[in-house]
Amino acid sequence: MSDRKIIICRCEEVTLDQLVDTAESYRCSSRELKLRTRAGMGQCAGRTCRALVDEIVQKYTNEPTPHDIPLGYQAPIRPITFSLMGEKDHD
Amino acid sequence: MERRNTEVLIIGGGVIGASIGYYAAKSGIEVTIIDKGDIACGTSSRCDGNILAIDKEPGFDSQMSLESQKLVKQLSKELDLEFEYRAPGSILVCESEEEMIAAQSWVDRQKKAGLSFKMLDRSDIKQESPYFADDLLGGLECETDSTINPYLFTYSLFHGAIHYGAKVKLRCEVKGMRRNSETGLFHVNTDQGSIIAKKVVNAGGVWAPYIGNMLDLNIPIKPRKGHIIVASRNMPVGMRKVMEFGYLMSKFGKERTVDEETDKYGVALVFEPTESQNFLIGSSREFVGFNTKVDLDVVNCIARRTIRFYPKIADFLLIRTYAGLRPWTPDHLPIVSPVEQIPNYYIAAGHEGDGISLAAITGKLMTELLQEKSETIIPTHPIRFSRFQNVSTIQT
Repeated sequence: MSDRKIIICRCEEVTLDQLVDTAESYRCSSRELKLRTRAGMGQCAGRTCRALVDEIVQKYTNEPTPHDIPLGYQAPIRPITFSLMGEKDHD
Repeated sequence: MERRNTEVLIIGGGVIGASIGYYAAKSGIEVTIIDKGDIACGTSSRCDGNILAIDKEPGFDSQMSLESQKLVKQLSKELDLEFEYRAPGSILVCESEEEMIAAQSWVDRQKKAGLSFKMLDRSDIKQESPYFADDLLGGLECETDSTINPYLFTYSLFHGAIHYGAKVKLRCEVKGMRRNSETGLFHVNTDQGSIIAKKVVNAGGVWAPYIGNMLDLNIPIKPRKGHIIVASRNMPVGMRKVMEFGYLMSKFGKERTVDEETDKYGVALVFEPTESQNFLIGSSREFVGFNTKVDLDVVNCIARRTIRFYPKIADFLLIRTYAGLRPWTPDHLPIVSPVEQIPNYYIAAGHEGDGISLAAITGKLMTELLQEKSETIIPTHPIRFSRFQNVSTIQT
């Protein structure tokens, strides 16, 4: 197995190969790389791969850091059930 | 002497600017597309992705969507990058007898307009999804409705536009604009320098009024915020887009019989399965300015609404929420139009929640307007800019 087949985003099963190819083709921001490959869009919300995705963008696009459009953080902090989210008084 | 940099400058790199860029470049027009951020960094990546006729007023509104559906089907074949196109149809579900009666009249009117609509009864609904609440009475279906991934669609249109020679400048914000009255050329100041263009298309979405204001235009578009929940992969809940009938009421600002919070936040259930096998849940509608911060009170309310229609989803996990801004206009129709008082200035904005639905038809129509064709793919009268300008309204 070549090193480039290694999985960077476990939730969405995105390989280093896919990320590098996409970053090189589009010379894009982390956010665009995420949207184009789904890396960081799974269950763990990029806990594992966020830093790696950022690093790939820096390395393969030669963009100065920090770039203008970094990855955002979206609520909730961890997955939560609809019933818990729908409860009226949970603070 | 002034040297023109581009024939047509499109301001806005969302799905509308992308589509205009694609169709215009394909027809041989020299175009440049600029955006203050990234491609699809605003509303076009904070939405769901449908080409819907089901929620359009029968007549011009629904015909416009139908034409767009045909174009998107065509685009799914001609564009190189895939954008998760599917055409499974969509349904509206009803929770009361009153809604069933209103649904029947909606179906009758749509069928009269020649669209492929039909009523669904209680057993049809059960067949659609075993997750639906038992007390839902039925609903209606639009067979032709299709679905796509909105930002992949935008990327794909950009890719196609560039293929046909369009130039793209990102992180390039418009700071000011003037029109040279002698040459008629537009001088657009950006933070990457000045761009001189023969024609300008304002495709700025919720920001279109700011761009318009630079030439003293009053464009009546307001941001109408909406929230979406992303649910984790689980058992398949349904194969196609579902909305509650009350969504229509909420969209058109009509009275609904729901609790106070649901009404206040304009919450109406929308379910959308995606190709990545998770699903999106919406929706809300609020006028709260340019704020895209997720409001957890609204998300709570949407979660409750979800459980009302799909009780068994209560145990499913939601993994992400986001909010976007719809470019609302007072009559719920977009502006796709030249501006009479400024020759060679065009507006393509104000699609509210229909930007993805109407992007293709908007791009096609705007290209025809730029070419000054006498016949256009759809009538231009209902979506002309002058309908919002008092003087012109009196004339028509």
